[in-house]
Amino acid sequence: MTLLKHEIKMYGKTWIIWSMCIGICCFSCLLLFESLKESMEEIADMFSVMGGFSAALGMDKVSIGTITGFYATEVALIFALGGAMFAAMTGVSVLSKEEEGHTADFLHTLPLGRGHIVLWKYASVCLLCLLFSAATMIWILLGFFCMGEMPSVREFLLYHGAQLLLQLEIGSICFLISSICKKKQTGGALGFAVLLYMMELMCRVIPAMKGLKYVTPYYFANASDIFSQGRLNGEMALASIAVTVLSAAGAFVIYRQKDLS
Amino acid sequence: MEEREKQKDVKAAIEIEGLTKTYGKSRGVEGISFTVEEGDIFGFLGPNGAGKSTTIRSMLGLLTFSEGTIKLLQMDSKKRQKQILRQVGYMPSEAFIYPSMKVKEVVRFAAQARKQDCAKEAERLCEILEVDREKKIGELSLGNRKKVSIICAMQHRPKLLILDEPTSGLDPLMQEAFFQLLLEYNAQGTTIFLSSHVLSEVKKYCRHAAIIKEGKLVGTDTIANLSKSNLRRVRIREKGQEKEFVHDGDIKELLSRLNQMALEDVLIEELPLEEIFMHYYE
Repeated sequence: MTLLKHEIKMYGKTWIIWSMCIGICCFSCLLLFESLKESMEEIADMFSVMGGFSAALGMDKVSIGTITGFYATEVALIFALGGAMFAAMTGVSVLSKEEEGHTADFLHTLPLGRGHIVLWKYASVCLLCLLFSAATMIWILLGFFCMGEMPSVREFLLYHGAQLLLQLEIGSICFLISSICKKKQTGGALGFAVLLYMMELMCRVIPAMKGLKYVTPYYFANASDIFSQGRLNGEMALASIAVTVLSAAGAFVIYRQKDLS
Repeated sequence: MEEREKQKDVKAAIEIEGLTKTYGKSRGVEGISFTVEEGDIFGFLGPNGAGKSTTIRSMLGLLTFSEGTIKLLQMDSKKRQKQILRQVGYMPSEAFIYPSMKVKEVVRFAAQARKQDCAKEAERLCEILEVDREKKIGELSLGNRKKVSIICAMQHRPKLLILDEPTSGLDPLMQEAFFQLLLEYNAQGTTIFLSSHVLSEVKKYCRHAAIIKEGKLVGTDTIANLSKSNLRRVRIREKGQEKEFVHDGDIKELLSRLNQMALEDVLIEELPLEEIFMHYYE
């Protein structure tokens, strides 16, 4: 618990800045809807029949002319990318920062134990993702409130639950990378989060690349799918949980054996 | 008989047997074995890259080692690492601590990790070492970071203190204050193991020492015994010219060598401890 508090404190500033930036972006975009509403209604039908482009942004499933549709196709993208990048950044640095900053000697000679350190550091990544989601959701709900229309609670929670799973999966894979590397691979982690998003776009547009939907967690956590179908693909969510658990377990095994410099 | 009984009662604070650690194909340490008795002040000497830090880091579980056993406070370092670290204080040579934290936060964090209330002792150490607890670690010089590291290593009054080049970066007055603290802790039963490049420190404060060179132990003994050697500095005057050399070996060989020279004058003297250690280093 001491270590969890310590980590949350260390990442406090990053969490505040990141959740404020993404939250305010989402809030501002939602406010834009009012001024775009009329033109959106006119072009909504046209957007929905633009083939691959419509499919990539989910505009073939929800109408961009409604606030929920606008949120699912435009605003949710900011939240999804921002959340994934925050999770990647946190996960990839939480273990390796100790070796890069030469603080491993200090931390690992306290009577905590390597297993305990990995466990609580992983818990801090999960908690930070949760706190990020919570803080950003408040901004988003405030945006809906200002627009005078609230989203369906079930779909909204389902979507943000899926997004939390996505963040945990990306955060866990990056945590595994962090257990191997001696330096923070922040650039690589951010690139990884964006690459997974690109995979989702490609698998929706190019039929030959459909198989990528099993690789990228953005696919099952897609806002347009969830808001239009009102449900989550259970199998894919389970696969995401499995990847998350395996990555965390892998990090645990690797870091316990590792020579610390 | 009594002396033997007394020796039996003395337990080992550090017991290393056949420690071998390699980094891929490169050398770490090979077949290191030595014992440090409880209550001792033990110096660990060796040039840069000799394997001092590898040995210390293996002792503390920061490195995994392929061969050998390490027992600290009669406990196996691999099996009971957490219990060992509860009773050990470690001060790394570089003293890197979280730069965004305040001194008081770091000291409190170290105490909380040990589940101990060390506030009183921490306060006393801060006063002795003149540490400003409100400052952030990132604002401190190396010397002041070292002081924070000393406080974190000592505030819980450990049974064993492991110090890696503890005085580098400390000014002479602080070095003196630090060694007085070490002597005070040692008088209360703390075993002290310190690696150092400063031979005068080892000579002044340590009772035993081990010398490591190229990953292998070249000598372990009392400081007095390590100082006793066959090394002699010989100064001669031959045909009006003064010469000087160091003789290592049987004194009879030296005398027979000198006998063959046309000597006008000769001076044979023992080497000071510093030079004996330098000889080990070379």
